[in-house]
Amino acid sequence: MTTIVTTPQVIERRQKGPGWGQVLLAAYVLLFFAFLLLPIAIVVLVSFSSSSFIVFPMPGFSTQWYYRIVEYRPFMQSLLVSVEIALLSALAGTVLGVPAAIWAVRANTNAAQVFTNVMLAPISVPAILLGFSLLYMLSALTLGVSFLSLLITHTVVAIPYISRTVLAVYRGIPADYEEAAAVLGASRAQIFFQITMPLIKPGIFAGALFSVLISLDNLPLSFFFGGASSSSLPVVMLSYMQNQFDPSIAAIATVQMLIAIVALGIVNAIYGVDKLTAA
Amino acid sequence: MNASVPLSLENVTKRYGQTLALKPTSLHVAPGEMLALLGPSGCGKTTTLRIIAGFSMPNTGSVLIGGVDVTELPPNRRGLGMVFQNYSLFPHMTVGQNVAYGLKTRGMPAAERTKKVRAMLDLVRLSNFEDRSIHQMSGGQQQRVALARSLVTDPKVLLLDEPLGALDRNLRESMQFELRAIQRRLGITSIIVTHDQEEALTMSDRIAVMAEGEIVQVGTPIDIYERPQSQFVSEFLGTANIFDGTLAGPAEAGMWNVRLTLPNAPVVKVAGPPSLRGSSAIRVAVRPERLAISPESTQLRANVRGIVFRGSYYAYELDLPGLEKPIYVYSGEKTVAANDGTIGLGWPDEYAIMLSDGGVR
Amino acid sequence: MSQPAALPIAEAGEATLRSRSGRPFQISSGLWALPALIFLMAFFIIPLAANIARSLPAEDMFRFYAVLFTDPYYLGVVWQTVKVSAITTVACLLIGYPVSYFMVRFAGRWNSLIVFLLIAPLLTSIIMRTFGWTVLFARKGLVNTMLLGADLIEKPENMVNTEMMVYVGLIHVLVPFMVLSITSVLQGVNPSLEESAQILGASKLRTFLTVTFPLSIDGIATGCILVFVLTNGSFLTMLLLGGGKVTTLSLLIYQQFTLTQNIGFAAAMGNVLLLFALIGMTIQLRFLRRKGVK
Ligand SMILES: Nc1ncnc2c1ncn2[C@@H]1O[C@H](COP(=O)(O)OP(=O)(O)OP(=O)(O)O)[C@@H](O)[C@H]1O
Ligand SMILES: [Mg+2]
Repeated sequence: MTTIVTTPQVIERRQKGPGWGQVLLAAYVLLFFAFLLLPIAIVVLVSFSSSSFIVFPMPGFSTQWYYRIVEYRPFMQSLLVSVEIALLSALAGTVLGVPAAIWAVRANTNAAQVFTNVMLAPISVPAILLGFSLLYMLSALTLGVSFLSLLITHTVVAIPYISRTVLAVYRGIPADYEEAAAVLGASRAQIFFQITMPLIKPGIFAGALFSVLISLDNLPLSFFFGGASSSSLPVVMLSYMQNQFDPSIAAIATVQMLIAIVALGIVNAIYGVDKLTAA
Repeated sequence: MNASVPLSLENVTKRYGQTLALKPTSLHVAPGEMLALLGPSGCGKTTTLRIIAGFSMPNTGSVLIGGVDVTELPPNRRGLGMVFQNYSLFPHMTVGQNVAYGLKTRGMPAAERTKKVRAMLDLVRLSNFEDRSIHQMSGGQQQRVALARSLVTDPKVLLLDEPLGALDRNLRESMQFELRAIQRRLGITSIIVTHDQEEALTMSDRIAVMAEGEIVQVGTPIDIYERPQSQFVSEFLGTANIFDGTLAGPAEAGMWNVRLTLPNAPVVKVAGPPSLRGSSAIRVAVRPERLAISPESTQLRANVRGIVFRGSYYAYELDLPGLEKPIYVYSGEKTVAANDGTIGLGWPDEYAIMLSDGGVR
Repeated sequence: MSQPAALPIAEAGEATLRSRSGRPFQISSGLWALPALIFLMAFFIIPLAANIARSLPAEDMFRFYAVLFTDPYYLGVVWQTVKVSAITTVACLLIGYPVSYFMVRFAGRWNSLIVFLLIAPLLTSIIMRTFGWTVLFARKGLVNTMLLGADLIEKPENMVNTEMMVYVGLIHVLVPFMVLSITSVLQGVNPSLEESAQILGASKLRTFLTVTFPLSIDGIATGCILVFVLTNGSFLTMLLLGGGKVTTLSLLIYQQFTLTQNIGFAAAMGNVLLLFALIGMTIQLRFLRRKGVK
């Protein structure tokens, strides 16, 4: 009989890696994002084409289309209108929507509940119906096709986008902070500006960002008000596309995307995008 | 009204829909005293405090601060200080800015403000934390910031809503003493809400015990503990052994004979009010540490169900024939039971407490 | 209690007996909502109400609605509106659900990147995305060029201006909304529920069908209603990618407005769209209420 002395062997078990199902799912998700980003990437690519037509393979790279859109007055003018409307309507939506949302959260009555639903409703009403109805309404008020009409129309939609995030953020903030400030002698105005506003600022910024992005691209709302001084960019782009099919559309679309990215960047620099998605 | 009473409630009631959260309640707090509002969950402690603070308007009655009726005054004009359960420190301000906030709303110049804030942070032992953000402070530190913030404005009355509820046990005990020491030093009239009986006993000059929307007894901690007026109070503060009986006639001065509803109908002497009518039902409470046990034979004999060592004393669980609930006895010594497993039970007459009710709840 | 404690109520002074409203302290009052209320009344409620009046001409009240629901052509348009929205909704659900599932169960540290990629298309205009599809699938577009180059086809196929292309465009725009809606609910589903089902002997597929899927039904409902309502209101995709093959109510309103200027009829069509939206909102409110969310 022999005895074999062995040191206890350490057997390392293979950890279970991701299964086939998981790998397939990951591949699918990759494909999904390719689908999501492909048409956007292709437009950016085309905007640098040296050809006057859209052909593949592209004959060469050039920035000529960016010069072309700067020279084409309707593009620049409507871009300016779009940016102005987006910013002003977000501002008006904030001034109107934020105090209303603050009241609605704390009031906790049936009236406040109904009001909240009304305030959020413009998101769910088809924009084309809203634009159409407002055109006749504003014409009756002799505002008709004008910058002010466009601003009013976009503000109707800005209110729900801004109040929606403010409602969500403010609901999560206990009344204790405001009460603590009140005991410390703060008036209602002081509480609002020194306590409430700083606490709900992320909600306001997130909502305003959404509102700006939606406004920049809201063709169904805007095209009813497409006059000389009040055509927004999507309206001009649509009419341009119906006549010509050249890469300048790609260039102006890319510029618009850059503006949106800058807006996001500004908000991100102030608050961080993670806070926005949390709201 | 009397201007020397810092705070009084006069017949205050509060209704939420159909439920009466606060039955007509009156309360007077003396200058410099710390009064605890103690009671089980939902009894109306927070409701009372919020009415005093002005967050909630009583349906009837009035609130007086320093003799002035403030019932209709908003919270920011009552000159109170308040510490919230979760502190509610402003997350967008530093420690120093939090403490300074109450001075800022009063329009105090910056230089003077800084001086007062520093002094107050010294008092709560947070001298070098002025520029810290709130997120960088531990629970106990936040608690002290909240205290400093509420004290810096020299409030007429300090309100504390379960101020130590969020702290762990050890910190809680040391903070109880620290908070009490600061309150004594400043001599500030305070009301502390708590559902922790030990906290109430440790920290307050007087305790108001609440149950189901009313104050059932007010008194010093010793008063409340030694002379509870109802079964509810006797059981809510500490443990009480309850015996039922009937009046068997007067004994010597201020004492009555009570026949307990037990086998052999033993008669005990209990202190009670002079005007009691014959044969009325009487309920008697005795604290576990006041009960004496011995192997010798006495009027009452109980079976030992279990003995637990609790560090500084032994806790006996006894079965007394004729009683449904077990009897608890806390004793410093381990007493040996007689051969038949029974043990003798008794108490000095002065420790029997006559309860005035069939017991709330 | 010291002093003249506990007076019976009847003896207390008159002033203390007066019952007050007992309203709690609030920094805001109804006045704070007034500007928004007036603004929305004037520029949201009243215009929509006026639009209903506009769709009901005095001489023959229900003329436009009668045409809309009896004339075979318009009835076809209404039907197509519902059909396009329904197909888009189902497609978005099928395409988006696995992505949500991946995000919640496996994405881990990639999660914020995925959220960003889902929101990124929002930064571009719908025109840009539609244009992208045209560039890809036009007769001289990238796909045709590549297929020709690989000798897979002999002459360029027309792939734009088809019904299929409209669906591709709609799904591309709307699927992120579906994914985000489902993800937010799926995040609340405890993975230990799935594990317990497997411990009880259920296969992975069975676990998914009997546990995971039913628990995410609220997110699915929210996402579906959102996509359905948004599709109802779109016309740009149909206009630019459909080549007249897909006519829905929204597109018809656009055309009625730009070409024929038949105001009353356009108003009536808009109201039918509004009705669809209201039905969607009602169902959604039901769902939220059932969940106890306010
Ligand atoms: N805003 C309110 N609306 C309706 N009922 C309320 C409201 N606030 C309190 N109540 C009710 O009033 C009663 C007393 O509540 P209160 O908050 O004062 O109790 P508490 O003693 O502070 O209890 P806890 O120890 O749990 O904090 C409870 O029955 C409670 O349900
Ligand atoms: Mg409470």
